[in-house]
Amino acid sequence: MTKLTFSTNEVVSLERKIDSTDDIIPTEIEDLEYVYEISRCAEWIRSNQFQKVCLQFPDHLLPDSSEVTLKLQNVLGQTIYILGDTAYESCCVDYIAAAHINADAIIHYGPVCFSKSSGKIPYLNIYEKHQLNVDEVKNQICDKLGTFMEEIIILVDTPYLHLSGDLVSVFMDFNRISVKRIDETHSISNGELIVFLCRNKQKLINVQLTFPTIKLFYYDGNSLKMYDAHSRVLMKRNFLTEKIKDSQTIGIVIGTLGVQNYLEVIERLKNLITLSGKKYYLISVGKPTVAKLANFPELDVYVMVTCSMNEIYESRDFYKPIATPFDIEIAFNTNNTENIQFSYEFNGVLDRKLEPLNVQITSRQEDVSLLTNKIRSNVGDTTFVSSEGGTQIALKSDGTLALNTSHGAGYLADRSWKGLEQNLGQTEVELAQEGRSGIAQKYKDEPT
Amino acid sequence: MVNFTVDEIRVMMDKKRNIRNMSVIAHVDHGKSTLTDSLVSKAGIIAGAKAGETRFTDTRKDEQERCITIKSTAISMYFELEDKDLVFITSPDQRDKDQKGFLINLIDSPGHVDFSSEVTAALRVTDGALVVVDCVSGVCVQTETVLRQAIAERIKPILFMNKMDRALLELQLDAEELFQTFQRIVENVNVIIATYNDDGGPMGEVRVDPSRGSVGFGSGLHGWAFTLKQFSEMYAEKFKIDVVKLMNRLWGESFFNPKTKKWSKQKDDDNKRSFCMYILDPIYKIFDSIMNYKKEEYEALLPKLGIQLKHEDKDKDGKQLLKVVMRTWLPAGEALLQMIAIHLPSPVVAQKYRMEMLYEGPHDDEAALGIKNCDPNAPLMMYVSKMVPTSDKGRFYAFGRVFSGKVATGQKARIMGPNYTPGKKEDLYEKAIQRTILMMGRYVEAIEDVPSGNICGLVGVDQFLVKTGTISTFKDAHNLKVMKFSVSPVVRVAVEPKNPADLPKLVEGLKRLTKSDPMVQCFIEESGEHIIAGAGELHLEICLKDLEEDHACIPIKKSDPVVSYRETVSEESDQMCLSKSPNKHNRLFMRACPMPDGLAEDIDDGKVNPRDDFKSRARYLTEKYDYDITEARKIWCFGPDGTGPNILLDCTKGVQYLNEIKDSVVAGFQWATKEGVLSEENLRGVRFNIYDVTLHADAIHRGGGQIIPTTRRCLYACLLTAQPRLMEPIYKCEITCPEVAVGGIYGVLNRRRGHVYEESQVAGTPMFIVKAYLPVNESFGFTADLRSNTGGQAFPQSVFDHWQVMPGNPMDPAARTYTIVQDTRKRKGLKEGLPDLAQYLDKL
Repeated sequence: MTKLTFSTNEVVSLERKIDSTDDIIPTEIEDLEYVYEISRCAEWIRSNQFQKVCLQFPDHLLPDSSEVTLKLQNVLGQTIYILGDTAYESCCVDYIAAAHINADAIIHYGPVCFSKSSGKIPYLNIYEKHQLNVDEVKNQICDKLGTFMEEIIILVDTPYLHLSGDLVSVFMDFNRISVKRIDETHSISNGELIVFLCRNKQKLINVQLTFPTIKLFYYDGNSLKMYDAHSRVLMKRNFLTEKIKDSQTIGIVIGTLGVQNYLEVIERLKNLITLSGKKYYLISVGKPTVAKLANFPELDVYVMVTCSMNEIYESRDFYKPIATPFDIEIAFNTNNTENIQFSYEFNGVLDRKLEPLNVQITSRQEDVSLLTNKIRSNVGDTTFVSSEGGTQIALKSDGTLALNTSHGAGYLADRSWKGLEQNLGQTEVELAQEGRSGIAQKYKDEPT
Repeated sequence: MVNFTVDEIRVMMDKKRNIRNMSVIAHVDHGKSTLTDSLVSKAGIIAGAKAGETRFTDTRKDEQERCITIKSTAISMYFELEDKDLVFITSPDQRDKDQKGFLINLIDSPGHVDFSSEVTAALRVTDGALVVVDCVSGVCVQTETVLRQAIAERIKPILFMNKMDRALLELQLDAEELFQTFQRIVENVNVIIATYNDDGGPMGEVRVDPSRGSVGFGSGLHGWAFTLKQFSEMYAEKFKIDVVKLMNRLWGESFFNPKTKKWSKQKDDDNKRSFCMYILDPIYKIFDSIMNYKKEEYEALLPKLGIQLKHEDKDKDGKQLLKVVMRTWLPAGEALLQMIAIHLPSPVVAQKYRMEMLYEGPHDDEAALGIKNCDPNAPLMMYVSKMVPTSDKGRFYAFGRVFSGKVATGQKARIMGPNYTPGKKEDLYEKAIQRTILMMGRYVEAIEDVPSGNICGLVGVDQFLVKTGTISTFKDAHNLKVMKFSVSPVVRVAVEPKNPADLPKLVEGLKRLTKSDPMVQCFIEESGEHIIAGAGELHLEICLKDLEEDHACIPIKKSDPVVSYRETVSEESDQMCLSKSPNKHNRLFMRACPMPDGLAEDIDDGKVNPRDDFKSRARYLTEKYDYDITEARKIWCFGPDGTGPNILLDCTKGVQYLNEIKDSVVAGFQWATKEGVLSEENLRGVRFNIYDVTLHADAIHRGGGQIIPTTRRCLYACLLTAQPRLMEPIYKCEITCPEVAVGGIYGVLNRRRGHVYEESQVAGTPMFIVKAYLPVNESFGFTADLRSNTGGQAFPQSVFDHWQVMPGNPMDPAARTYTIVQDTRKRKGLKEGLPDLAQYLDKL
């Protein structure tokens, strides 16, 4: 086979900073047809008679977008649109962007997450095509797993799906071994052993979380390794649930507009947080970054509502910890939580307990926080009820309108910078003057 | 039979001048609990014959099994003093006229350093301390520590020389030697007192003096004790001298010539030291005759001393007889009671000078005056010093001292935790007190109310306090000061339930454990590990046992003990570190440098703290540490947690909008000092200077989102360019052993990176004291190792002393510190490898 990978691999592009000056190498013209399966796309569009079709590329594939579009337009003789910027995660199909031009179909290129989507627009996934030495995989499996008694399932991730035919033929003679596609996981049962051909850590974690009792191996290009992040991921929940219980204000960060039921989950989170006597901020900042979220320093923890492939959960650079809807559920909903199994996929939370919410809030008793070793009260600010009788004379206030009754206001009151001082009566009154104009990057009156 | 009722005690509680609140403190194994038994038996709570063996105040099963006190235990007792003794109490504030009875609230405390937080908690609620010293081993490290703490809390000490039986029977010291030993101990104790107390201070003179009766001698195990007062009373008639005058003559350089009947200040051929002659000689005679079975001799001797044996005791001989004889002649309870009643202050006296040390608020508000006057009609002020587990699992008695006002069952009170600040609502609850109770060792008794000057327990406030707090009815009350412990929780283990399904029980258990011990810390690390941190191995062992058996009640897996490290720097950053905000419009220029030696400790001790007036703080820093005065005035903050031993200084000149980003920079600083760049451990002893800042002219582009993460990156770059180092905790160890074992100690210490800084013989004994510094990390199994290398003769006491920079750059893969950093990162689930400077440092 010829060299047919996409120009840069996903790891590089995921770790790249925005200001990265690394050159993105476009795919060779002659490989485009194979890599982007142009004729298959054209066939799909033609047979369904789509009029407005959008192409969605992840950032690292955008350089190829114009060539691909041109080729498609040539074949089809109709206008094809490129979705230039993905608002949230490039692994999810971006219906919102497509809805801007009332598109009736989307072709999604690159890594894909298989999250159930909320949109109604038909779409086609074209996977990446990574190289893999199939014989080497076979040798490794025979070497390392020969002694295991379990049935072995070779699970193939999207970049290797184009090799599934080769894989099937190589493992023909082994009746203990079967090859399955990544989207066929529902047919896996306990007592088997999975070899996952995948390099994406988040996918590995998700597979492991789906099948906690199954031994999971993965092939990283060189050798076969046992994967075990399960206990680490679950341990982290201990911290996050405690952190959530400690917090006063929780930020619900909208990290997707495409995953099924995201609105229901947000609604549920709001409900749970309010019932627990906490406050929430609902934040929609497009793709969440460290800087955007740090603009809300009064928050104690962020809850990210996004697709399960999002690597943001593993990031440690954020100012406050990032929790999943599952963590909120565990922290605030004491009702038969025993049976919930952790998953980054928030639909799991909804599935198990259907509306209407029948939440029994944790007993309104004060207890000790295991993070700060201080007393925390689960009912927010309402605990302290002054016993003063109504007959007493109130003191004249000093003009303060809002006392620090809420956590957010209290935070602002504690800041040393409270805005420009008015110095009423001391500053001379002046006529308004025209200020600067233009955009922040360079105002019009700034010298070049 | 208990010779008093709860009702009687309640009556006594109102006689505040006749109350003595006292703790028994000492080095481990010097016989506190045993001695306490004498008083408990005098109160009729245990039988006299059992005193010394019961250790009534060791209420836990493991305390009895291990013969070591773990928790401090309180007990209230009622005694009456005879008229002849009452005259010794001269101050009108020390006794109500016509009142012979005294209420003694006694707290027996543990002696092992690992539990010294219990001592701190006990001292806070008492006014006097009975310092017990084993006269064979003399003043030991823990004697000094607890005495120092007592003086610092303005607790008046009295001294008791214990284990005289051993001195006589085992060491066979002659009378003069024994006197010298006693005198040396008294001197040692007085030296320590003089070091930490100013005689002209509010407490006045606190030194102990045998000739005034504030030093007792005896044997807790055998149940006998005396002060010079007892003997002078015996001889006063014979000599026709006043008891007080005679007491002076019975101690020190005072000699009597039996032939000429003359007193002298010098030793001559014919005269003899009065202490030996009149006090020790009779005791020696009894010991000699009984232990050597000279039946005729002692049968003649006993009536002379006025000792009448009971019928059933007449058949005894040897040690058994000796005990009975001594106990009948010089009952320990009586001597102790007199020492306590006469020499320890009543709450009325003590609270006058303790108020300013206790109260954080203005010294003239209602609460302060209530404390100062010990006024039961003032607003309630009570300090809860610890939580005592009840038989109802998960619930605790809040144990403490009423300093002012009255606490009553059903009373509504403000419960203020240590983080409460007047005027705010944080850490404040207003709840009814469900019940007030009296703590009686292993029993409790319900009581209607408790007036000022007393110690008691409360039911129903435990859920609003973690470990300590203030209870008040005064709306504007400030907190009573939080206790300062002499030990730190530097040793930690990770725990997990053997059965993962038990996790909620473990979490609940950890919360209970946190409450039940004054110092233990239980927390969840960011990786999700459950950590228990304690003072030492023994402390952790007890905590784990309690957790497993009492608090969580599930089988638990524990990790090997580890220590926490601190990150620091050893030089100034070798370049100006620049970091740009994500939008590239803001730039921070900073450098890091190490703090001068001693400053981090000053911050720990609160000598330099964020609440100080910035001018006086700057003056202090300039004078002591040579800081530039203008820079020192511009300390932006301390961190981590706003109080830690790292500072951020504003060294900029004329930067626009700087004040506006201060909050964001401070937030970034708190973040970075809490989670250092190497392995996310706390920083220590680092000073960061901000030299220049360029900011976007538009406020929206220099908000928290841009500045907070940038500050963190810039601080990390500063750390990486300033020769980062790790600091490890170091124990101070004091090892007592005979001379032959000293060699073995050196061997063990060398293998464990320890070094000896002092070695000396305990004067008058064959024992040596070796003092050494030992890294806490190397201390696991140290006690056992030491025992096996010295034939079980050496016994160490280790207490956290300081943080020490470890040699070797943690960025150098060959260094030991590199391994430590990598191990820590692995444990915390961080990416292995080294932090990359390029990630934090930007180019212009």
